[in-house]
Amino acid sequence: MTNVQELQRIVGGDWVTTKREQIESYLMDEVYVAVRPQPSNDVVVVKPANTEEISKIMKLANREKIPVYPRGGGTGLLGGAVPTQDGIVLSLERLDRVEEVDKDNLMVVVQAGVTLGDLLKAVEDEDLLFPPHPGDEGAQVGGMVACNAGGTRAVKYGVVRNYVKGLEVVLPTGEILNMGGKLLKNNTGLDLMHLLIDSEGILGIITKVIFRLYPRFAGIATLVVSWDDRHAAIRTVPKILQSGVIPLAMEYVERDVIEISAEHLGLKWPAAKGKAHLIVIVSGSSEDDVYSQCQQISDVCQEHGAVDTLIAERKEEQAEILKMRSEIYTPLKSRMADGLDITVPPANVGKVFDAIEEIAKRFGVTVHTFGHAADGNLHPSIMMDAVEKGVFKEVKKEIYRAAADLGGVVSGEHGVGKARLGEFDLYVDAKSKELMRGMKRLFDPNNILNPGTAIM
Amino acid sequence: MISIVVPIKQVPDMERVKFDKEKGTVDRSSAPGEINPFDLNALEAAVQIKEKLGATVTTVSMGPPQAEAALRDALSRGADRGILLVDRAFAGADTWATSYTLASAIQRLGQTDLIVCGEKTVDGDTGQVGPEIAEWLDIPHVAYVSEIKNVGEKMVVVCDMEGDRYLMESRFPLLITVTKDINSPRLPSFSDKLKARKAEIEKCTAEELSAVADASRFGLKGSPTRLNKVIVPSEEGRKGEIFRGNPEETALRLADALKEGGLSENVK
Repeated sequence: MTNVQELQRIVGGDWVTTKREQIESYLMDEVYVAVRPQPSNDVVVVKPANTEEISKIMKLANREKIPVYPRGGGTGLLGGAVPTQDGIVLSLERLDRVEEVDKDNLMVVVQAGVTLGDLLKAVEDEDLLFPPHPGDEGAQVGGMVACNAGGTRAVKYGVVRNYVKGLEVVLPTGEILNMGGKLLKNNTGLDLMHLLIDSEGILGIITKVIFRLYPRFAGIATLVVSWDDRHAAIRTVPKILQSGVIPLAMEYVERDVIEISAEHLGLKWPAAKGKAHLIVIVSGSSEDDVYSQCQQISDVCQEHGAVDTLIAERKEEQAEILKMRSEIYTPLKSRMADGLDITVPPANVGKVFDAIEEIAKRFGVTVHTFGHAADGNLHPSIMMDAVEKGVFKEVKKEIYRAAADLGGVVSGEHGVGKARLGEFDLYVDAKSKELMRGMKRLFDPNNILNPGTAIM
Repeated sequence: MISIVVPIKQVPDMERVKFDKEKGTVDRSSAPGEINPFDLNALEAAVQIKEKLGATVTTVSMGPPQAEAALRDALSRGADRGILLVDRAFAGADTWATSYTLASAIQRLGQTDLIVCGEKTVDGDTGQVGPEIAEWLDIPHVAYVSEIKNVGEKMVVVCDMEGDRYLMESRFPLLITVTKDINSPRLPSFSDKLKARKAEIEKCTAEELSAVADASRFGLKGSPTRLNKVIVPSEEGRKGEIFRGNPEETALRLADALKEGGLSENVK
């Protein structure tokens, strides 16, 4: 019996695809042009219906030593889901059920293929809240956990990792493992669950997730604060946090870039004054609570040179602002060589901006930078002119060097995937790499699960 | 200085509001109220005229005491005055009684040059109240205005109706209803928002309005519309089905399935 037939026997004939036109969309993710890995042509796409089928597929693959590439929404930015060797793309799209919204424990149990959009809706329908918002709502929760997605709301509530309370995982060798549960405290042995989070699909296939939920905010508002000067805007960020208010999100954008995004979406950027803006999202226990926080933020901003503060309270107005920010790289993408994901200690954000500007100027290239101002995570976008001038790699290297010199890392939220392996090798120390490789061997002795990803 | 009135309505957030399927009514407590989105375009149009030519912009709303919040929001977005028509006697009004009540309130204000309405409300969806106000006041009106070309001695506007565009000119006083295409409503500044929170909202009761109006035409008793039954359609999810067999047979079965589901009558 061939492997394809055996796969068909496991999941049913309709759910195994080898036709080129049907697998095309499973070969790539959102990885940037200049760092795009080459997908293999000889790939079988398998769409199992449940954990047991996935377990059987992994047993088969492990026995035959066939590489398996787990795939969620395909919204990753570093080629993590791209099948670079002949093998199986294992799509989790049929595991799309929200199993339970547990109001008493404030938890939700979801299968790995549930999209962020569906998760948010299911939770909101019960008047509860899943606080993080990593951006693209087509992302699937399995991928969000495997990549420990971040996003704009990390300032107050942290990244996806902070919400994961339980996982069901299929190991590369086929065993099904349950980690954690509806528990708020769990110190029993080493924490394998947190090892799986951000493992980029190389240690196991996440099939089910238990997330912690929160009560819905009673009030939420978005401020758009404007400055004439970038440094004044960025300097204000720690001052806001020091004043005692922790906003849900603080995003830094420059007018010339956000206006491109607005135009692309057919929207209008609301701020008419200034050229450097902070988008500050504030949540609170009541409308008065939100106003008093906004007041405090507005006062601090004014003390630090803000020229205008606008407020959006209507849901659609706030959603439009967030959309312009979330999709800021969509219109840039066709001209974008690479979008970096450096993270520095928050107090060094201003310095790293300066350094990037200096590098771009020195090489005579365009680098648009925006990012999560309060958590030090920035996305410098190196545009195609750097490639055309033949300096792309040097520009990138210098930006990484600048970030490292300021105490930063290569990736804050996008991960390593297949496109940042070189940087991983350069910036991670030898002993750490050795431990990571050892861990991979222990979970996946035949190196069949998403090989060539996250570590090297 | 031109005197502009913008009638506004507080509507529930339509994305969050729940329907009472038994009674066939909107459960207004299930979602917070906000200014009807089309009224924001009307307000923005009025405020832009004010900024260009100088004008006073008065917003009028008929609604429960909570509708004060909508008028405050309007103040923060550039309106000068907010008047709330609040009385049990106004409750249960259809578009006829609503437009009569609003028209009476505008009449009570004295000289008004221009009335700007949103094209419709997202909860009622009739688009009748604006033009009806004009009829009660016996002034001309242009509905579905998507562009204001000129405001001078006369007003020149573009209106979109039934797929055609019309260039219209009118004397004042005039009422227009505007579409979403006319502008992008601005965000209020935080300081204006704070000021609006403390500002006074004028209240007007049925008795006060009776000085210029016939109180028997207010509210439910002034409404000729009778609601017999409201059906809230239930949402149906996707029903996936795979047909197997030879193409002709499966095509026929697909056609039957489409007919059964009421999706197509004329599949051959």
